[in-house]
Amino acid sequence: MFYRLAGIRHTSYRSARRLFPVPFDRWLLLAVLALAVVAPFFLSKLHLNSYLLPWVIWATAALGLNLLMGFAGQIHLGYAAVMAIGAYTAIHAVRAGVPFELGLIAGGLVSSVIGLVFGAAALRVKGLYLAVTTLAMQSIVDWIIVHVPVISGGSQATLQAPAIRVLGQPVLSDEGRYWIALVVCVLVTSFLLNTRRTSFGRALVAVREKDFAAAIIGVSPFRYKLLAFWCSSFIGGVAGAVLAFCYYQAVTPEQFHLEVSIQAVAMVIVGGLGSVLGSFFGAGLVLLAPIFLNNLVGWIAATLSLPVGPEVLSHIPLVLYGGLIVGFLLFEPLGLAKIYDNLRNYFYVWPFRHARH
Amino acid sequence: MLVCDGISRWFGGVRALADVSISINRGEICGLVGPNGSGKTTIVNAVTGFYPPQKGRILFEDKSLVGLKPHRIAKLRIARTFQNLALFRGMSVLDNIMMGRHIHMQPSALATFFYWAWAERDELRQRELVEDTIDFLQLQDVRDAPIEVVPLGLQKRIELARALVAEPRLLILDEPMAGMNQEEKEYMARFILDAREERGLTVLLIEHHMDVVAALCDRVTVLSYGEKLAEGAPSEALSDPKVVAAYLGSKKRHAA
Repeated sequence: MFYRLAGIRHTSYRSARRLFPVPFDRWLLLAVLALAVVAPFFLSKLHLNSYLLPWVIWATAALGLNLLMGFAGQIHLGYAAVMAIGAYTAIHAVRAGVPFELGLIAGGLVSSVIGLVFGAAALRVKGLYLAVTTLAMQSIVDWIIVHVPVISGGSQATLQAPAIRVLGQPVLSDEGRYWIALVVCVLVTSFLLNTRRTSFGRALVAVREKDFAAAIIGVSPFRYKLLAFWCSSFIGGVAGAVLAFCYYQAVTPEQFHLEVSIQAVAMVIVGGLGSVLGSFFGAGLVLLAPIFLNNLVGWIAATLSLPVGPEVLSHIPLVLYGGLIVGFLLFEPLGLAKIYDNLRNYFYVWPFRHARH
Repeated sequence: MLVCDGISRWFGGVRALADVSISINRGEICGLVGPNGSGKTTIVNAVTGFYPPQKGRILFEDKSLVGLKPHRIAKLRIARTFQNLALFRGMSVLDNIMMGRHIHMQPSALATFFYWAWAERDELRQRELVEDTIDFLQLQDVRDAPIEVVPLGLQKRIELARALVAEPRLLILDEPMAGMNQEEKEYMARFILDAREERGLTVLLIEHHMDVVAALCDRVTVLSYGEKLAEGAPSEALSDPKVVAAYLGSKKRHAA
């Protein structure tokens, strides 16, 4: 009913290979993008800075991790360490006088080089062993950052992010910082979307599915796993730098500890492995659900004037949050993106029951 | 074209191949038959680099293949299909076949990032070539279906398509007709013959259906317990008393 596939005829391979063959999807995407661009004009400062901005940045980071976990099928439990490398590199680079744009890229490059070194060592093993090896990366990087004063400025230190200048123009407002994050997010999203229709992305999926069959048609499994580590670490590094510059406007070691890594993995899995849209859903749920539940529980307790102490009140949202994640994954193991997809397919033919898809 | 010279392979104490020599000439369909566990697939795995032989030489167009990694051997234009299917789930039929073009493409992350300026042209050109093979193997209907929902007979054909689009010089088919009904078998046999005629392929065919082997192959090699039993034209090789004994058992063995 809502999506009309009838009448869409592709007469060239270019149009058959479009990112969104259904016109409705294209308009929806444009509408969402337009809303995202003008969001600073109708959202309050609080909503912009503490909800939308981190959502955009974390979606970027989740996309990077999704490239590795969802496309190439390699787990990574040290993603926050990758982001930390990017953040510290970019801040030090900009402090040393490098332009902000190049600083972001430098952050990505240093992250990807270090990520690649760990990746090359870690990829000798598979599955759970890989998970543990990447965990080691997290600990090593954490330790180095804290214990090398040149990087962190001391174990308890906070490094202030220098002022951002884009193309020589200072960016001082909240809106400006948000738009920078948005641009990075759009670029990364476009990369991930295109990855699904190029030989590069196909090779990654092939390695994930059956590495021996990939080898037999000329894909070197090791090379492509490394490439996945490289790209994912690059995106992670840039996302980390954006997080430090645009959101925290400072960097401390605590921002990138193990629980942050776990959170990133949760975003990818809850959102949907290998799904671009899923990374946005996942980041949204993991970041915003706790805030939302907190407010909800607080509001219910206040309106019903329930006799519960603040201790209990602060824990109920956490319990609900955990339950929510478990519930979503039980309901649909392929994540929120799959739930969305099911809904969409349902409404394709509504009010009839059977879809061809 | 392909020469295996005295290759041997052990797995622990099990001797899978003992001093086997086979050769395939250009343009030939060469059959490889033998009872289960006789080492047919081991030969294929030796040629394609999964289990290099511990002894002996393998030459492809006068180049040694021993010690090369599988993906390097693929670049020399040796393609194969698998006995129990090795298609990539989570991809459409079309993408699976496009995977076969991998060695002719220049995949890169940067090209993907600049898709519209860089990767698109190559993708679309390769797509046209792939469509030729899709037409040839009559896979138009299932092109856009996810691979998981396609029936087995078609999946075998898709795997053949993936191997063919790589424009191989040597095509190794490991039981392409296992689990097929008579009609599907006939289709497959036709495709193999046509592919040779149109594309000048050389084929190494492993198959259990003797009617197919006898009808398709120019020459047949028979293996049993890792050793070569017989070799020659299908009619002669398959009626060799040793071959009949290996397949059906001999009276002597029963008496003993």
